[in-house]
Amino acid sequence: MKNKFLFVLLLLTSISVICFCGTFFYVKNTDKQNTDDSIVVMTSCNPVYLATVNVVGDIDGVTVQNLSQPTTGCLHDYTLTTEDMKNLSEADVLVVNGGGMEGYLEDVIEAYPSLTIIDTFESVEDSYPVIIEDEDEAEESHTHGVESEEHHHDSGANSHIWMSEAIYAGQVQAIAEGLGQIDAADKAAYDSNAATFLSVMDSQIDMQGLDEELAGTNVAVLHEAFAYTAQSLGTNVVATMDLDEERQVSAGEVSAFIDSINENDVKIVFAEYDYGHAMGELITEQTDAKVVYLETLVHGDYSGLDYITVLNKNYALIKNSL
Amino acid sequence: MFSEMFSYAFMVRATIAILLISPLFGMVGTMIVQKRMAYFSDALGHSALTGIAAGVIMGIANTTVSMIIFGIFFALLLNYISRKGLSSSDTLISVFASCATALGLAILSRGGSFANYSAILVGDILSITTKEIIQLIVLFVVILVFWCISINRLTAISIHATLAKSRSISVRVMEDAFAVLIALLVMLSIKWVGILLINALLILPAASSRNISENFREYTYLSIIFSIFSGVAGLFVSYFTDMATGPMIVIIASVIYFATYIYGKDR
Repeated sequence: MKNKFLFVLLLLTSISVICFCGTFFYVKNTDKQNTDDSIVVMTSCNPVYLATVNVVGDIDGVTVQNLSQPTTGCLHDYTLTTEDMKNLSEADVLVVNGGGMEGYLEDVIEAYPSLTIIDTFESVEDSYPVIIEDEDEAEESHTHGVESEEHHHDSGANSHIWMSEAIYAGQVQAIAEGLGQIDAADKAAYDSNAATFLSVMDSQIDMQGLDEELAGTNVAVLHEAFAYTAQSLGTNVVATMDLDEERQVSAGEVSAFIDSINENDVKIVFAEYDYGHAMGELITEQTDAKVVYLETLVHGDYSGLDYITVLNKNYALIKNSL
Repeated sequence: MFSEMFSYAFMVRATIAILLISPLFGMVGTMIVQKRMAYFSDALGHSALTGIAAGVIMGIANTTVSMIIFGIFFALLLNYISRKGLSSSDTLISVFASCATALGLAILSRGGSFANYSAILVGDILSITTKEIIQLIVLFVVILVFWCISINRLTAISIHATLAKSRSISVRVMEDAFAVLIALLVMLSIKWVGILLINALLILPAASSRNISENFREYTYLSIIFSIFSGVAGLFVSYFTDMATGPMIVIIASVIYFATYIYGKDR
């Protein structure tokens, strides 16, 4: 092959053919969503998806679809995939947890101005016991007007609100109300489905007496989400260290956390296994506290009444650790 | 297949952005490879974190502005220190890059909030807005004008700086102007390409072209072609396979590099 331009042409043509054929077969073997005239409701994360699925129930002409979920880390730093962008461009409504949880939300609002957003955090923050973790941060973000990069908890609030079943009930109602406004013809059905789901939650979530057994005791958490678990059980969170794959903790922070556990006679530490395991081992070694690994509902595939199942599983794990 | 792809506004914007950024990368990359500045551009990319951190500390609402200002300052500082010749330039660049990255990470991870900024590591070209495309068009025009005016002088400097000086070419001014240009390109496109991959996009097309080119004109044209091709093909594949766009572009650019390397070696 003497002619290099012929080589370049052949090279680029070969890559084009391989790319085209590869993607063609990939697309052919991938299930495509059928888009019709129905109302398409997208949800941003598993907890919101589970609430929305239960609110929508079997109402005709309304489909609920969840955005791709991160397989690791938290939702804050998740970046939308091309599939998500395609789905959003066909959606009528996007139901989000809000409170800074979805870092990409500002981009979505800008890119799809006609997309209706149901922000569940906004609906519950004034009427439910949302935890404000960092007053300074709230003040700072207001005074400095820091832009969207500082999306995480931009009001200083802990936005993992779904971990509190009481606040989650508020989220369910907010979704029913929001969908009822968009699809007025089915408003009654949304309200009725929401009421049914809330009564199922009420009857099936089993705290196993933990709310009485642990009320007023001190706990520590290795993930902000579990501050709401602690709140539901009536316990006091005396130490928090929010761990994820990008969190770099300092030695001072670790020692302060351990000191706080020892000084406040903490018997239980709530943690997520993936990112809290190493720290959990250290805490078990250095203190008398037991570390319980709970689920945050963020990773994995969930459906139907899995919200209740996961919460019950978490409470059972806490009960067994006592 | 293609009509569906372009029925989405975000894909149209992403394609326009790719068509604006990739030729610039191909073009500027040739001079970066020629002048052995790969380490320099990598350091600049990493300094974006410090630029954001400086913006956050100073309360600048638009951190792109602080990134650009810091990037220009950092590029000129690297040039100044390199000229002093106190140590080998790759060592100096490495020290400054590490220091800047650590400073950025330290500030941004204050209170454990680095996750808020992690999106800049991989970039997200799909979320580009019309306003940001206009910024890229302005950048495209600025770099193109600079390139047309300065390419001969830059080439002369890259071949032999002393000889260029004897021809009344202000080596220092040209080097600083080129450093500022790289800083502008890196800082304005880093949000879409990502810190981890930006240097690959700058270097790979030019390095591929260098493997098979025989003169500077060929070198530049092939680099631009490889860059645009990788960009468009990467976007196409990522759209249908639902994978991140930046890495897909780099994978295709890498395939081109290896193919040209083998071809160039056997000639």
